[in-house]
Amino acid sequence: MALLITTAIMLFLLAPLVAIVPISLTPFEYLSLPDDELSLRHYRTLVEDPAWGASILLSLRVALVSSILATVFATTFGLGVWYLQPRLGGLLVGFVLLPMVVPPVVSAVTLYFLTTWISRVFEPLGYDTWFGVVLCHVVMVTPFAVVIILVALSQFDRRIEMAARGLGASLVQRTVSIVLPNIRFGIASAAFLSFVLSWEEIAVTLFVTSVDAITLPRRVWMGLRDNVDPAVAAISVVLTAITVIVILVRMIVANARAKRVAEEALGQP
Amino acid sequence: MNKGFQQDCLQILLRQAEAGRISRRSFVRATGALLALPVALRANLSYAQARELVLVNWGGDAIDAYSKAYGEPFEEETGIKVKMDGSGPTEGAITAQARSGKITWDLLDIDSFSAMTLGEQGYLQPIDYTVVDESKVRPGFVWDYALSTYFFSYVIAYDSELYGDDAPTTMSDFFDIERFPGNRSMYKWGVSSWEAALLADGVAPDALYPLDIERAHEKLAAFKENVISFWGGGAESQTVLLTGEAPMAIVWNTRAKLIEQESGGRIKYIWDQGLLSPGALGVMANNPGGTEAAMRFLASTQDPKRQLVMFEMLGQGPANPAADALIPADQARHNCVAPENMAKQIVLNVDWYAENYSKTLDQYLALISA
Amino acid sequence: MIWTRRGVGYLALIAPLPVFLALAYGVPFFGVAGWSLTLPEPGLSNYERVFTDPIVLGVLLRTLRICAVVTIVTTAAAYALAYIWVQGSPRQRIFVEFCILVPFWISTLTRAFGWLVLLYNRGLVNTWLQDLGVTTEPLTLVRNEFGVIVGMTHFLIPFAVFPIASAMRHLDERVLLASRGLGAGRLRTFWSVFLPMTMPGILGAALIVFVFSLGFFITPAILGGGRSVMAAEFVYVQLFQTANWGLAAAISVVMVAIVAVLVTLLFRLTRVEKLMG
Repeated sequence: MALLITTAIMLFLLAPLVAIVPISLTPFEYLSLPDDELSLRHYRTLVEDPAWGASILLSLRVALVSSILATVFATTFGLGVWYLQPRLGGLLVGFVLLPMVVPPVVSAVTLYFLTTWISRVFEPLGYDTWFGVVLCHVVMVTPFAVVIILVALSQFDRRIEMAARGLGASLVQRTVSIVLPNIRFGIASAAFLSFVLSWEEIAVTLFVTSVDAITLPRRVWMGLRDNVDPAVAAISVVLTAITVIVILVRMIVANARAKRVAEEALGQP
Repeated sequence: MNKGFQQDCLQILLRQAEAGRISRRSFVRATGALLALPVALRANLSYAQARELVLVNWGGDAIDAYSKAYGEPFEEETGIKVKMDGSGPTEGAITAQARSGKITWDLLDIDSFSAMTLGEQGYLQPIDYTVVDESKVRPGFVWDYALSTYFFSYVIAYDSELYGDDAPTTMSDFFDIERFPGNRSMYKWGVSSWEAALLADGVAPDALYPLDIERAHEKLAAFKENVISFWGGGAESQTVLLTGEAPMAIVWNTRAKLIEQESGGRIKYIWDQGLLSPGALGVMANNPGGTEAAMRFLASTQDPKRQLVMFEMLGQGPANPAADALIPADQARHNCVAPENMAKQIVLNVDWYAENYSKTLDQYLALISA
Repeated sequence: MIWTRRGVGYLALIAPLPVFLALAYGVPFFGVAGWSLTLPEPGLSNYERVFTDPIVLGVLLRTLRICAVVTIVTTAAAYALAYIWVQGSPRQRIFVEFCILVPFWISTLTRAFGWLVLLYNRGLVNTWLQDLGVTTEPLTLVRNEFGVIVGMTHFLIPFAVFPIASAMRHLDERVLLASRGLGAGRLRTFWSVFLPMTMPGILGAALIVFVFSLGFFITPAILGGGRSVMAAEFVYVQLFQTANWGLAAAISVVMVAIVAVLVTLLFRLTRVEKLMG
């Protein structure tokens, strides 16, 4: 019974992702199911229309820079909290996590205000510029990176670091040669998550861009709202396919590793 | 609401470019030239900055349409460069800039009724009709804070295959679900929906304004279950008509023309009881380029040949009646201000909208969302 | 110890992020919140409108109602998924994990769009239903509140699965064995032992879902058929369409207040760190 319900829910989760495939193959110019023939014209649009390419490049750049900044911010902050364990640490962490829980539309209004204000002072970094988008994305995604870093640090044995401290290692030495290597997976996941969140961010991007800084999600949004282009379906299929492949590879690798670890454990006396 | 309309024009333009009706190169040229200009060069030019104007429209390809139709010829004549800024002069953005005290915009592509509201708040300058020629504006479209530059209309489009010979001819037909079964689609931002409801409810076209909003909303409340979508952008209206989700919709005439083409004539549109709406240009108060240059630019947009370019590229009806004669005969039927088309339509009452739009819109959105 | 020379190093680690956020987020937020008291004229009129104007109240109440429905449906579905994910056979676990992870990594837009093409009048579902003869007329499944709820539920399920699964994993298996050992059946064990013991996970998940759903903007805009169903889009309209900044700011502040209350509740009821692990 539980299994039946779960299967239904699983279908529910995957259905809309599968549904996009036939739409992307429609020979018509508008949203429709293909009737007789299938066409790859909308995939061709993605390659041939410079606007899509420009948006993809912009999104990559924004996501890369945002991810680096967010990871650096989150890691230093996480380390600071972990070393110091300040009395008001909980409050500080709560403050840093705010952009994660505040309704996105409120954050969007706030950041709209920020970017337009920057524009008045120095236009190239403000509203509707790639750097303005980066700034907003860093605000929005850093809290998620902080959570991951904090979790990673909480799993690291504090006594190792204390031993190093006892042996006279400086803060920089301890951080670089002991703590950071031990939380490197956490840092990598934080960077990856920040990248993906920035890559697909739309709620805030919608408010702080207009005509120049058109990220990929922003272009998809325009394709959905202002246009009827089934190229939107095509790009969605491409992105979904990439995601599925990455997840499958990850699962296979993780499985293989688990098996190897189990075998090694069995092989040892 | 104008924002949506202008963006829509851009898409039409883009499509035309894609279909090869306008050269792609001419499009890219204007923007490309701006970007390619090295920073140092721009700095050297800064002494000439008093000799330039910034026109704010709704972005993307409008930049090219406005450049081609108005900006380039104006620069040739006067040496004053017209820079296009596509960031969108929403009422919110204009208010923000006016309040910040640092004005960077000169000219605004704006709704006539928004211009009235903003002008009365002191954010826009009055139009100088000693420079701009009042006689080149259609009678009845002369305003204090905005110059009429183009027209568009809200018209009924319908699936001619589904309804066969029985074509709708009035707003009553639009609301008649028995005679014309099927879903409808209407405009999300209220304009035209109120007028349509009142006409269908038996209000005479010449007694429409001031709009009886209570009555209109009553009619809409009873009808809204038949409205599958309230479209916010022209492409949305195009989607629901082409997919058949709504076999009848009230859409912009510029978009209707495109839908007719794309559906191979299956979707037709009529001018009867359409709502003719004026678009306009306004001038920021204390604009950096100065009043004189701004007014000279406005006067230059009245040239019928330049307005013809806008009709060809975006489908906008010209504001100067003299431009009508320049439109080729086979295209005239798509001109919303051609006399025979105009006679069938009702003209949007700008004064009423300036006074009542935003509070009525709140009620309307609440009604359609409930 | 902060002020010693070594302390400076720690401070340099801990300070940048809060300072950055205070400047890039805190200050502008108070700027926006300030509008609610100063625009169009100084005073509390915007807040008065939020709590008395039937239009604004209508939007807020509808938002809360939709969020409540979404929260209940999402949490229930996530519970079932998490149960199989934790208790199922290895093969089932892999399937469930796949179904949770794939949508989790795919953007809001793509997912909302997927529902649109699945549910619209000439979409797959309606086509199938009519081909199978279940219905003769297409059902209106999207461009309305139903579509919005479906889309939001779909978006939020993965977010709810993680805390619930975490609670289930931390459950001491021996308790279940003891219950079975004392003669309780599977169902009885589930209802009187398993469910109550995973309740903190359920509450945590429900609160997370509710908080997230409050601010939803994209999904309702795509699936709502142009009706401004939720508070977030209402704020957008007030900001850009009717230039009513004061009211937009007041609604934002009220939304943040609601979230603050809920998050405080979340901290009281559960230990957040547990939900993350």
